[in-house]
Amino acid sequence: MEKKYIMGNAAIARGAAESGVKVAAGYPGTPATEILEGFVEYPGIHAEWSCNEKVALEVALGASLDNVRAIAVMKHNGTNVSTDILMHLNYTGVAGGLVLISADDPGGLSSQNEEDSRILVHTYANLPVLDPCSAAEAKAMVKEAFELSEQTQMCFVIRPVMRVCHSRSLIEFEDYDPARFTGGKWRDDRERYIMSAVEVRELGGIKRPQARHRWLNNKYSELMALGEDSPFNSIEEGEGDIGLVGCGIGYTYIKEAATRFSKRYPILKLGTLPIPEKKALAFMKDKKEIIVFEEIEPVVENLLKQLCQENGLSVKIHGRSGFYPSDGELTVRMVLEAIKKANRELKVDDFNSTEVDIEVPVRTRTQCIGCAHRALLYNIKRVARAKKGIVFGDIGCHDAGSFKPMELQSTIYCMGSSIPMATGAFFAGESKPVFSMVGDSTLFHLGINGLINAAYQKSNQVVILGDNSTTAMTGFQPHAGSGVNLYDEIVPKVDLDKLGEAIGVRVYRIDPYDLKTTYETLKKAAEEEGVTLVIASKPCFLMASRQEVELFKPLEVKVDEEKCNGCMICINDFGCPALVYEKHQKKVHIDSLSCVKCGLCAEICKRGAIG
Amino acid sequence: MKKDIVIAGVGGQGNLFASNVLSQFAINKGFEVLGTETIGAAQRGGSVVSHIRISDMPVFSPLIPRGSADVLIGMEGLELLRNMGMLNEGGYYILNLYFVPTVYSNLGIDSYPSKDEIISAAKRTGRNGYEIEATHKAAELGSTQMTNVVLLGALAKLDGFFEFESMRDLVKLLSPQKFQEKNMLGFENGYKLI
Repeated sequence: MEKKYIMGNAAIARGAAESGVKVAAGYPGTPATEILEGFVEYPGIHAEWSCNEKVALEVALGASLDNVRAIAVMKHNGTNVSTDILMHLNYTGVAGGLVLISADDPGGLSSQNEEDSRILVHTYANLPVLDPCSAAEAKAMVKEAFELSEQTQMCFVIRPVMRVCHSRSLIEFEDYDPARFTGGKWRDDRERYIMSAVEVRELGGIKRPQARHRWLNNKYSELMALGEDSPFNSIEEGEGDIGLVGCGIGYTYIKEAATRFSKRYPILKLGTLPIPEKKALAFMKDKKEIIVFEEIEPVVENLLKQLCQENGLSVKIHGRSGFYPSDGELTVRMVLEAIKKANRELKVDDFNSTEVDIEVPVRTRTQCIGCAHRALLYNIKRVARAKKGIVFGDIGCHDAGSFKPMELQSTIYCMGSSIPMATGAFFAGESKPVFSMVGDSTLFHLGINGLINAAYQKSNQVVILGDNSTTAMTGFQPHAGSGVNLYDEIVPKVDLDKLGEAIGVRVYRIDPYDLKTTYETLKKAAEEEGVTLVIASKPCFLMASRQEVELFKPLEVKVDEEKCNGCMICINDFGCPALVYEKHQKKVHIDSLSCVKCGLCAEICKRGAIG
Repeated sequence: MKKDIVIAGVGGQGNLFASNVLSQFAINKGFEVLGTETIGAAQRGGSVVSHIRISDMPVFSPLIPRGSADVLIGMEGLELLRNMGMLNEGGYYILNLYFVPTVYSNLGIDSYPSKDEIISAAKRTGRNGYEIEATHKAAELGSTQMTNVVLLGALAKLDGFFEFESMRDLVKLLSPQKFQEKNMLGFENGYKLI
């Protein structure tokens, strides 16, 4: 059998392709992005970057009800966006196998939070969840999930964490048969697919939501029975009365930690929710203490506590609820410390780590060198400062304008929150002018609702659209304003000017590299009544350089040391990483190895010292 | 036999390519390989760290525990220091003498250590190390983008595990066609730098 060294995300896509998935829909988000991109190479699969995760899950559900296999792919924050449809499809069930991938980011390495999506999809929506410990297991789980989804009529959720998605390992490739992609076939099933408060005659006239809720509750025991025999749950025998439970990736950290001591602890490896209760009880019955390792909330820990309470077991159960840290990503060190805490006599061959004895400054992210967002943020900052305005920010590369040195945006929440929050502040009677900044992909995701609302409510704000024609933050995924789709085919492109006009807002268009016009336009917009949409269009510099598209005439610049007086304007207000402040000379110099010759700093320097 | 390798740098230095070459090399030799990297914010000047685990035994966690890496490649000075604690007692590091200031150091909030401070802080941990000017060599050869292959060349010279010929072949094989010749040249020059 062929084996390939691939990313966990590619393994997940492969698993779905081998399962004969016909429709795949998602919205980009780290750590899940590469899963959907992985479908492009398989003919017969329709894969799409949907406008947002709710749309993606609805597209996948529609395909499933048309009796083909479908998959929806998103990160945890995205699954939040899809909650509304999730809370309906759990009641209706599915037809063709439906799998939802909800990738988590413990530690919040590339996210706005480090939430545990198992709570949303399992505790809240009552859907079965598979939690892989490795890329190979994730692939096996995808295949199993499609089978079980059709067997149980339920949507199965797979929750890989960042370290599974972004791991690289040798993955076995099994047969991929494009002949499996037969077309869909719709079969009406109104008893299920019409989720409305209508009376169910056969059940004494209770309303359909209650009837379907009853169906969902009854599914729990069926799922639990499946878990007992699941290849993803197993017991490894050991010695002593302390047992370790490894959920998903937590299992691998236990195995890694176990190489550092000679004692062999009993291990319960869990990969399914609901947990297999019989198996869990068999594991716990002769133990005094159990330590559960899971990402990132005490979900399984609490289920085990409940199980012990119901069965009169007095075993102590520890885990994320405080025995070891309740926040942050699991590490082998964390696991070792927790085991040592439970067994103080344990001899551990500890890691011999020697850190450097000087302080190592943190490295925060910023815009890339040459990025048009930096030029735009610089001008928004000038205008906002002059007008004493407040800037509401949104998700995207431009959100780094909220950090030092610019500290421009006052808020960064979730996709599309900038415009409505600015609207709210305006109607709160805020005396300062309000600005909102949003990216193009975010506008099509959920931002557009806020824009329509701002116009409809007659709010007063300047909306700045940083339009770089791609979803840059996650690695250049096209969207409804790109003019191309996932397959790089030419597709209809939203006309932003007409969109603004249709919504009823004033529209200005600027080139963010044109510093002077951008400043004047923003200033004018800030002085006008109503909602003004300022569209600042320039392709993402990084994407353009990869495509060998020139966005500006290269301008070789250097600093004239006689003229530079160390005023720091270029550092504080512009902050290009190629500008380096030399604290001893109190001068700025340009790092020629990283400068991309955009020449913007030459315009920004008030003393004409750069040129 | 196990070899845990950490490659630490900043976005845009070609960390992932270097990690792929090393992984593929070990796979070709029949070892178990498991890797991971922090990406996402990497293209915007953040830190990028790759972990590559090579072993003749099963490997479980893609993350190398702190204090157990055998090799640390610091593509940038500060990122080397940030990851020095990854090395085990017998581990060694390769420091690329290239320094990218941070936002905070530019603002004077943090102080970016001098080249000498970085070299001596690394030495004080007691680990063996080598300093090379990979980025400068790459620039001399035509592009700083070749920093990664220059460092791989240096690694092939320092570590008997990584054979020169087959590593060079892999550098060629895994490079986009138009960079193949340049990357091989970079690799050979890195080998000579030590």
